[in-house]
Amino acid sequence: MTLSFPFRFAVVIFREDGSSLGTVPIQRDWEPVHEWTRFYFQRKGELALDGNASASVLPLWEQTQGEPYCRGFRVQLEQLGCQPVAFDFPMTHFRDCASAIASRFVAQKLLREGEYFSYLVVAHPAPQEPLPSGGLTVANTSPSLPVQDAALETFLVRANPSGVLHSGDMPVFVSRRVLDEAAERTHAEEGSETGGILIGRLWRDASAEEIFAEVTAQIPAEHTSGSNVKLTFTPETWAAADAVLRLRRRGEIYLGYWHSHPVRVWCKDKACTPEAQQTCRLGKDFFSADDEAVMRAAFPRAYSIAIVANDTAFTDLTFSMFGNREGVTQPRGFYVLEEDTRAKK
Amino acid sequence: MGNAESLLEIPLEISDVSGQKVFSVSNAPTNNTVGELVHEMLGKMNLPRNDSSGAPLTYQARLEREGRHLNASERIGDALERGDKLTLQPNIDAGASF
Repeated sequence: MTLSFPFRFAVVIFREDGSSLGTVPIQRDWEPVHEWTRFYFQRKGELALDGNASASVLPLWEQTQGEPYCRGFRVQLEQLGCQPVAFDFPMTHFRDCASAIASRFVAQKLLREGEYFSYLVVAHPAPQEPLPSGGLTVANTSPSLPVQDAALETFLVRANPSGVLHSGDMPVFVSRRVLDEAAERTHAEEGSETGGILIGRLWRDASAEEIFAEVTAQIPAEHTSGSNVKLTFTPETWAAADAVLRLRRRGEIYLGYWHSHPVRVWCKDKACTPEAQQTCRLGKDFFSADDEAVMRAAFPRAYSIAIVANDTAFTDLTFSMFGNREGVTQPRGFYVLEEDTRAKK
Repeated sequence: MGNAESLLEIPLEISDVSGQKVFSVSNAPTNNTVGELVHEMLGKMNLPRNDSSGAPLTYQARLEREGRHLNASERIGDALERGDKLTLQPNIDAGASF
């Protein structure tokens, strides 16, 4: 499951008059696109469920200007016994890198705040580097994707959609009981962020060429500290969740986490008008950089999801779900299961 | 008297919170600290070292055999045995950073 970089990517920033401010090497987190690409092809049955595929990030050359100018990048995976597979990602994936670099130029007074800039992405062959000597010798012994067989249809017939479903997303089914428990805990802790760990199972419907998730339970997050804008998960939180998962002995795995957004308190603190509250982006489908960081550190696999309980003043509690779509955490739809599931083949 | 391996280095298994990222270490130096082990394994496992604001994240290694979190200053040779399983568990905030 190694990720290699035969090329080094860099951003060239231009002022509005077309003059170049310089070329800056790109430093970004490639793991989410790597994870998503591998899972995408595992869902289609084109990669085995074990993690032993080597991956490379390759430039896609700009069609008119050609090398070294990029129009995106490709994540290519190779696995013994399978044909190589690849997914192409557009230039938009470099937008945040370019913005961050431009911000540094503003801080260095090379650009004015609010000044228009443009950018190109270039790639050059990576220099040959000697293998590091010393240090730990490690081997990736990650388990295969823990799927069990089930027919997707047996879940769909007992589920109701929630949110905006995207055809490319892995279907996720959440037990109504899980949402009820999350709502109860959110109301009990009204005014403070609270949360829990989501557990469940991954199912594979080979005939549908699909893997889907079932969230069977939520484990209330204990040993946390919370305020109206923050919820801290501690090592003791994870240890306690582990103990519950093992005690259940139902073959469940971690699927992600949920937490609440006490939007009614945020709005009150900011003295927002009712009209502003109803259209505020924080009221629904808001997932902060910190929220994403929890996913990255604790639930890095592409099948992981997060649920946010939106506690607003102008409507009943709503739920938003977020997941990895083409390497970017995005709001997504899901299905609510109104009864306990029994997988049928 | 144990062999050279058991005196100087021991094999360990390290996983992330989810249990879906697992790495086997064949040569954890017994004279190193748990903190040094965690620091190097974060890179090997491609786990983030910093939060969204760039501040360093704290990970504690939980030793499955004893069911406790290890102190970063503990020496591997004192706290761990061959084949021990550790989980790297972060202290991390979810929140509305707006």
